[in-house]
Amino acid sequence: MFRIILLTATGSLLMAQPVKVEIFEKLNAGQLLAPPADAVPVETYQEPAFAFVRTPVKFSGNALPMDRSSPFGLRATYERVLTAGDYRFRLRARGAARLEIDGQVVAATQPQLPNKTGDDPVPPPPVREESPLRPAHYPHQDVVYRVKLAAGTHRFVLTAVIGGSGLYPTPGELAVSFAAGTQLERLLGPATAPYLTDEAWERYVAAVNQRHDAADVVRRRLASVAVAAEWKARHGKIRASLASQPKPALPVLKALPVQNDIDRFVGAKLEAESMPPTALTSDLEFLRRLSLDATGVIPTPAEIRTYLADAPRARRAKAIERVLASNGWADHWVAYWQDVLAENPGILKPDLNNTGPFRWWIHQSFADGIPFDRFVAELLSMEGSAYQGGPAGFAQATLNDAPMAAKAEIVAQAFLGQRMGCARCHDAPFHPFKQKDLFSLAAMMQGKELKLPRTSTVPMIEGGRKPAVVVALKPGQAIGPEWPFAALVNHSETGQLPNQASVPSRNEVAALIISPENPRFPQVIVNRIWKRYMGLGIVEPADDWSRGKASHPELLAYLSREFVMSGYDTKHVARLIFSSHAYQRKPVPDPATATGAKGRLFSGPIRRNMTAEQLVDSLHRSTGRAYECEDMNLNPSGDRSPSQFLNLGKPQRAWQMTALSNERDRPALALPIAQSIVDVMTAYGWRQSRQNAATSRDDAPSPMQTLILANGILGTRMVRLSDDSELTELALADLPLPKMVSEMFLRVLSRPPAAEELRVMSNLLGDLYAQRKVKGAQKVDARINSDNRVSWSNHLSAEATVIRMEEERALRLGAKPTARLEPRFRERLEDALWAMVNSPEFVMVP
Amino acid sequence: MKLSRRELLTTAALSPAFAAGGKFPKGKADACILLWLGGGAAHIDTFDPKRKGDGKKVAGSYYDAIDTAVKDVQVCEHLKRTAPLLDRCALIRTLGHDIVSEHGAASNLVHTGRMPSGTIQYPSIGSIVSKELGTKDPAVPAYVVMGYPNITRDPGFLGAKYGYIYLTQTETGPNGFVRPPDVDNPRQDRRETLLAQLRQNFENRHPEDQVIRAQSAITGQGFKMAGPKFMNVFDLAKESKSVRESYGGEFGQRCLLARRLVQSGVRFVEVSFNLNFLNGSGWDTHNDGQTKQHLLIQDLDQAFAMLLTDLEKSKLLDTTLVVIATEFGRPPEFDSGGGRGHHSKVFSAVLAGGGLKTAQAVGVSDELGVNPVGKSVSVPDFHATIHCALGINPAKNLFAGDRPVPITDKGEPLRELFS
Repeated sequence: MFRIILLTATGSLLMAQPVKVEIFEKLNAGQLLAPPADAVPVETYQEPAFAFVRTPVKFSGNALPMDRSSPFGLRATYERVLTAGDYRFRLRARGAARLEIDGQVVAATQPQLPNKTGDDPVPPPPVREESPLRPAHYPHQDVVYRVKLAAGTHRFVLTAVIGGSGLYPTPGELAVSFAAGTQLERLLGPATAPYLTDEAWERYVAAVNQRHDAADVVRRRLASVAVAAEWKARHGKIRASLASQPKPALPVLKALPVQNDIDRFVGAKLEAESMPPTALTSDLEFLRRLSLDATGVIPTPAEIRTYLADAPRARRAKAIERVLASNGWADHWVAYWQDVLAENPGILKPDLNNTGPFRWWIHQSFADGIPFDRFVAELLSMEGSAYQGGPAGFAQATLNDAPMAAKAEIVAQAFLGQRMGCARCHDAPFHPFKQKDLFSLAAMMQGKELKLPRTSTVPMIEGGRKPAVVVALKPGQAIGPEWPFAALVNHSETGQLPNQASVPSRNEVAALIISPENPRFPQVIVNRIWKRYMGLGIVEPADDWSRGKASHPELLAYLSREFVMSGYDTKHVARLIFSSHAYQRKPVPDPATATGAKGRLFSGPIRRNMTAEQLVDSLHRSTGRAYECEDMNLNPSGDRSPSQFLNLGKPQRAWQMTALSNERDRPALALPIAQSIVDVMTAYGWRQSRQNAATSRDDAPSPMQTLILANGILGTRMVRLSDDSELTELALADLPLPKMVSEMFLRVLSRPPAAEELRVMSNLLGDLYAQRKVKGAQKVDARINSDNRVSWSNHLSAEATVIRMEEERALRLGAKPTARLEPRFRERLEDALWAMVNSPEFVMVP
Repeated sequence: MKLSRRELLTTAALSPAFAAGGKFPKGKADACILLWLGGGAAHIDTFDPKRKGDGKKVAGSYYDAIDTAVKDVQVCEHLKRTAPLLDRCALIRTLGHDIVSEHGAASNLVHTGRMPSGTIQYPSIGSIVSKELGTKDPAVPAYVVMGYPNITRDPGFLGAKYGYIYLTQTETGPNGFVRPPDVDNPRQDRRETLLAQLRQNFENRHPEDQVIRAQSAITGQGFKMAGPKFMNVFDLAKESKSVRESYGGEFGQRCLLARRLVQSGVRFVEVSFNLNFLNGSGWDTHNDGQTKQHLLIQDLDQAFAMLLTDLEKSKLLDTTLVVIATEFGRPPEFDSGGGRGHHSKVFSAVLAGGGLKTAQAVGVSDELGVNPVGKSVSVPDFHATIHCALGINPAKNLFAGDRPVPITDKGEPLRELFS
């Protein structure tokens, strides 16, 4: 009794989580609905109320995300005191679930059936039987139970089966709500539990997601503690051994200023070639570039103000520490490794050399500061979840007859700068690789010998001329596991690797790549980091070292040593680069001089445009809009398995977008909002399909880039002053016009307006500014709605087609403009904003 | 003489054509319209009719067959407008490949001519044609898609500049080219004036920066491309009412737009027939989709016949190759829901106009259209035929970086279509 009272008393506290939740695995559906007394839950945790939209991520001993058994079960238990009266309980579930009150089953939903055809009818729109009650969304079932309860403590137990063969292993909107008499239902829980209304539900789910995200981070870091210590010990030994070797000599400069040691190496060559470096960037230019490079997005006005409030001498160093600590650090690196490691998930029956979505593991690795050698070992283990984001997804290559040959090519190129693509079908004519090299590495990654597929060869034409390439292997020939790069490194301590993969030869590949005796690995990685921030590598091509030659070999050696000494910490290398004058200079004004007769001198960084991801994320940030997009999922009804229909969730950053997989070209399979984002990203060099690895993108300026930003659906949505744009609030704030304009420039271009620009904007807006507010006009919900009744399971109905085509049409009109701003003023301000985001200054990295 | 890597590989010629010493026919078409029947159009219910089945247990065609302008060549009864024009067409009745289960993979194969390798991404035929032929008019793009953007239509290793512009509906115009509905001319002028001022200030602050200048020039090109000259092409109201109506519904309007695009200088237009609201399933006629399949066929018939007539009237038919293609066909049996499954060993495609030797059917499928009688036409052969019709050497090497990749994978054109 005491316990109940305590819980009720703390019920009003935000953190109160009185509902006990247990997760069970490896039981059949019947057992999951009524777990046997001796069943041991694999997870036990608390929730504030009876709404279960997600369950904790399962982590392996190495903190890799794992799949649970499918199905798995959830049991929620709760006791509370109720006054005597008539009560109504509502059980809502997508699949089989049941509710027990005081030991008696009172409500049960039916198991969900796997979908087979796509011919289901589109259900009617949800019925709002008791407005404003949130209706059950397709294909959820509601079962209502009415009962007269006596006063006193009652015990509630919900059990549910999640996933199963042919189903998606997520709970959907699993919930129990209740009310006395005719009152509005609340979620089952303490007296203060949220009502079952759309608004309260959405708020609750947002809180659940936040809480689970944070909890998952804590859990995986805990899971990682032991193995992290082993890596740390390994790094300690490597550091000790390296410390005993002589440090690279630091050149002495005649005149050029030195911020850190990087400037000595770069400066020495500049002085030798009598090439003057460019001037230093201004403080604000620097912050915008730094923020883009480290976090993938432009700074907020608040960040700019914090920066400017710091003493000028300490400003840049402090900003560097802030961006390195930011969550954006991981976001920005995911996009890079998605390209380099050819992460290529398909959300509809993947069959075009698709991988699993190992993006989530890349993200957690950078968010948790996993040392980069460990990152490589984890990737090569190819373990964890294939469909929920683990490195097992890397092993996949759908409809590819030599998946490990494809992976071997990616690994060699990513971490050793060995470009082996040609060797897939024949001995490479311009690289020191034989076809056998690629396939013997592939066999190591497979863990057994491989047979050369017929497609991986160059056919001889009868009577034809001999091909210019050597085809030494015959189709069907078996190739055994063997390390092909003995010239780089031939010795490793496999047994010493903290992460042991279950396929021993994968450990061996990892151990050889990351061996401290392999100088190539750290050099390739620091060169990649350098290239990403400076626009060009010290070695070019950065992924083809048998052709490339270092422009600054000593700098490469220096950075590589720093990287290894830091424990393979990419942040340490980034900090060194960001802190150097070399990085902090203005871009080289003429690209020809950067790569011309004198070679790469780095008199300044190369002028770059934002990447597709940076652009889309920065557009959202500058206009102060939440990311609006459908879930990256074509079967929201959940009645297909993840191997056929992945759900990659609702994107919050551009890297979370994915190929929309509408190879069927069906309107009912379109995701119109996502398409509007993908259109912009594609024009700016993002690859919707990453069938092969790439270090650089094809993102040269093109007329299509101009057009899609200027006229496209996303660009139009971004500059629209609707009630969900922070810029609308800025325009309505009680600020003098110059202050408003200044704030807008800060948001969009990370600088105050020049006097001339302020004059132009005052001319544009001045005469209407005093009368801009419309009295009495209300803020409305301007968010775009996606009809979640359409799913793969019913996409072959004509109605599904009509619904999506209608959404496309509506989307084209853009968000509903705010009624609170006088239309003529609003249009002018939108035009000003349009001009700013379409100016070359917006998209070019300072 | 020292040869560059690229020259060395080119002259060494991995290509079978060079090896076999074969010379490819060179057609005179200079543009291509691909009508894409996504979903897998049933060959025996369209261009390769067979003995009739009963829609349930007895396998066979779903419709009666009718005679055409070509002796001994019949088509389904719902192609009655096309039948008299069949002498302008060559039917390929033994196209075949091995991908039967997956639409995505099969569509990709028919668009690119290859299976994915994981080493490079192969370009679509539209991208290859636009690269090889370029655009006829620098003010218009080379490659336009009416349908959804997807991987099968992508430029792959050829790079973004050989990509397409697309529209999903004729009424909306191409994405990115059409201004938002609330931006009228005065507003656009105001926007561009403001933009010019900002750009000028930016350039003034970076007087020596070549990159900024180059980028500004490209921005200008973009706005010029979206100018009235090209945008008028999309204004179907410029056509007479009778022409518009004789093309039929949305698919017909797309075909009409395709003709206007070709006239404006576009090289490759892909027109998707994805009007799935007509029968639900589109051409993927499992179960229920079959009962209303005739609505699709009739729409196709009206639009295709009118397109041929219209191109001929505009004297464009000889230089415009019109292709009807799909990812695979369908078997003669019916599934439990009265529809059809997938069948890829044999199915049909149509090549019309383009200066080819038409009025013939190439290849014969067996009794119920299950197997080819004799050799089938491979997807690379099909591509090679299209390329040759357009004067493109199907064995020519394209380059993925340094790596030579022949336009088709050993494709041999159907020589009987060239005079």
